[in-house]
Amino acid sequence: MIRLRDVSLTHADGFVALRGLTLAAQPGEQIAIVGPSGAGKTSLLRLLGAAMRPTTGQLDVLDADPWSLSTADLRRLRARIGVAHQAPPLPARQRVVTAVLAGRLGRWPWWKSVASLAYPLDIAGAAAALAQLDLGERIFDRCDRLSGGQLQRVGVARVLYQQAQLLLADEPVSALDPALAQQTVRVLTADAAARGATLVASLHAVDLALACFPRVVGIRDGRIAFDRPAAKVDRALLRRLYASEGGQLPGLAEVPPAASAQRLLRPAVGGEAARADSCWR
Amino acid sequence: MKAPRDPAALARVGGLLLATVVLWPLAVIGEFRPWVLFEAQNLRVMGGFLGGFLPPASGGEFLAYLGQATIETLAMASAGIALAFVVAVPLAVATTQALSISRLGPGPGRRRGELLRAGLRILLVVLRGIPELVWALLFVRVLGLGPAAGVLALGLTYGGMLAKVYAEILESGDQRPARALLEAGGSRLQALCYGLLPGVAQELTSYTVYRWECAVRASVVMGFVGAGGLGQLMDQSMKMLNGGEAASILLTFLALVLAADALSAFFRRQLGEAGTAGHAAALGPLPLAILASLGGAVLASFAWLDLGLGALLSRAAAASIADFFASFWPLDLSAGWLWKVGQGALETLAISVLGTLLATVCALLLALPASGRHGALLEQATRFVLNALRSVPELVWATLMALAAGLGPFAGILALALHTSGVLGRLFAEALQNAPATPRDALLEAGTPAGVAFLYGSLPTVTPQLLAYALYRWEMNIRMAAILGFVGAGGLGQLLYVELSLFHQAQASTVIAAMLLLSVAVDAASASLRRRLG
Repeated sequence: MIRLRDVSLTHADGFVALRGLTLAAQPGEQIAIVGPSGAGKTSLLRLLGAAMRPTTGQLDVLDADPWSLSTADLRRLRARIGVAHQAPPLPARQRVVTAVLAGRLGRWPWWKSVASLAYPLDIAGAAAALAQLDLGERIFDRCDRLSGGQLQRVGVARVLYQQAQLLLADEPVSALDPALAQQTVRVLTADAAARGATLVASLHAVDLALACFPRVVGIRDGRIAFDRPAAKVDRALLRRLYASEGGQLPGLAEVPPAASAQRLLRPAVGGEAARADSCWR
Repeated sequence: MKAPRDPAALARVGGLLLATVVLWPLAVIGEFRPWVLFEAQNLRVMGGFLGGFLPPASGGEFLAYLGQATIETLAMASAGIALAFVVAVPLAVATTQALSISRLGPGPGRRRGELLRAGLRILLVVLRGIPELVWALLFVRVLGLGPAAGVLALGLTYGGMLAKVYAEILESGDQRPARALLEAGGSRLQALCYGLLPGVAQELTSYTVYRWECAVRASVVMGFVGAGGLGQLMDQSMKMLNGGEAASILLTFLALVLAADALSAFFRRQLGEAGTAGHAAALGPLPLAILASLGGAVLASFAWLDLGLGALLSRAAAASIADFFASFWPLDLSAGWLWKVGQGALETLAISVLGTLLATVCALLLALPASGRHGALLEQATRFVLNALRSVPELVWATLMALAAGLGPFAGILALALHTSGVLGRLFAEALQNAPATPRDALLEAGTPAGVAFLYGSLPTVTPQLLAYALYRWEMNIRMAAILGFVGAGGLGQLLYVELSLFHQAQASTVIAAMLLLSVAVDAASASLRRRLG
């Protein structure tokens, strides 16, 4: 499914984003990636999305090495990968319905793509995706009429509509309040589970990652700091991961400090109890 | 769950129907028949003419003529702008709200001041609403063939444009210093020099230089109505179907327009960067040198052209000019003539609309490679094509297209489309380059084909800007469409040309009034469309 072996990435400006990273995921697995800002979370997701080429090392995505494929095959591979961005790249003047339908442009023939600009060809599909995110009534609004949080959820709706085999999410809920953030991540995980798709999401809020994902990967300085089941992630591990940020653990912003602290202070965070009240299905 | 219907669909269908209902008759009026381009006879004429392009004429005598005509063109533009400046400054000072003394208080004479200002503004509309080539055509009748008519025409039209824009620039800056000076009993000129100019001098200079660049382009075609310069040479070569000469002249156009572009951009950059710190004089050495050389160039232009404008000041000459212009009054408003002018106006409108529309489509297609999406080589090649398209004036394109498609409005449509494609293509390419890339890149990374990614990711962002450019261009093209008839491309211009050669001044003035009305109406329509885009 996904396999990275000893992968490094150096940006054009000489910044080394990833150093000798090794990671594998089975089909249907759901992985959260956490780590301080600048650790390489986004770079890792861009590698997995075949948007960037690793400087060294071996990369397999959906059982293919994207950079040994022909242009046409690479395009077909990319159509099977869906990315939800932190700042959804949607044109301001585009309507929500068009922005969501754009998720399947990689699979539509060109005439269908053009025709859909005149009249949206799959309103039902777009409406279904938006309804999951409580945005059903905004379907014909223009994207610039939406708030940042609504826009982020439109980006998620586009990925849902795309029905990709590999779902990548780069801080997909950073602009949402805690309740909505949790609900939105739950929609993503449920969709991936229902279709057997693999989901890799980087999350700023550690508690959300621990509560919603069975497997958590901590990244720091472009290296994997830990990679273990959520139940085995403890406070000391997280403290070390976020040492550069003063050891403060980022959580969902508006969660009462006491509650979030209590959860993270327990030796083994998460556990069945925490999951019962949030994400665990 | 039943899917909702797209609420915008009805409006879209309505818009499409409306566009068809409007464009169909315009296409009929404009004789929009692309297939005539491929008729055997037209192909033969055009093929023979184009075949003569190689090699371009390079005989010593011809090149001497060409050089002389080029200098004459440049001199005409410079002298015209100088004249326009002299016309514009008093008009701008008189019309701008920023220097109104009677507004203080409001003081005595407020009503009178407003009336005067309104009257002057109408004068400005007339000056710049009548295309410079029409002015030139009129002046040729009074002053005879030669560059004097062109210089006067540029002076009046560009004087009107400069005055309007100067007044707007004066009002756009901080008006408080000038107001304070006026309130302290200063005169208008004092308030202008001490209160307004420090803030806006740079913008005023920059705009004037830009207008000079436009004047060069306008001077190139003045010869088509007998007002000297390169146009006259081109007119002769075209009439004799001498492809080699035409090719040389077209190359000269290209060089001249590109050089004027570059020079104007250089001047404006220098003026923008020049600081005055550390100098006792108001200007640094470099801008001072530039201004001095500009002044020298203007003087040299007048000397070279040897206009004999002094003769105009004699009593007899003034009387004959007054007689000539008086003969345009009253307008011929008989029903039969109005009907004919109305038809001409519709034809002109059709030429402008279809030409601009065609150009918008072509420009978009050319802008894609020109914005560097398909590699640097294709970018440079398309940019050269765009420059070549826009360096040939509409009127010259019209003479060429009259060969390719026969006389009539369709040649005008093609001429406007070709020139405007070059202008819009460059603007569109810039807009595409400045558009945010992330939406398109995200689609590409999701396996979307490049063309579709452009439609979904880039086009929605840039559409309003592209349409605004196209509408601005339409405002210019309606003026241009009105005069393309001078070379047989239909519309009001053809009517005017015929009536003036028959000395039917009363009928001609109705046509000029129609041109004025049409351009004012198109300005209003375009402004309201642009507002709705926002």
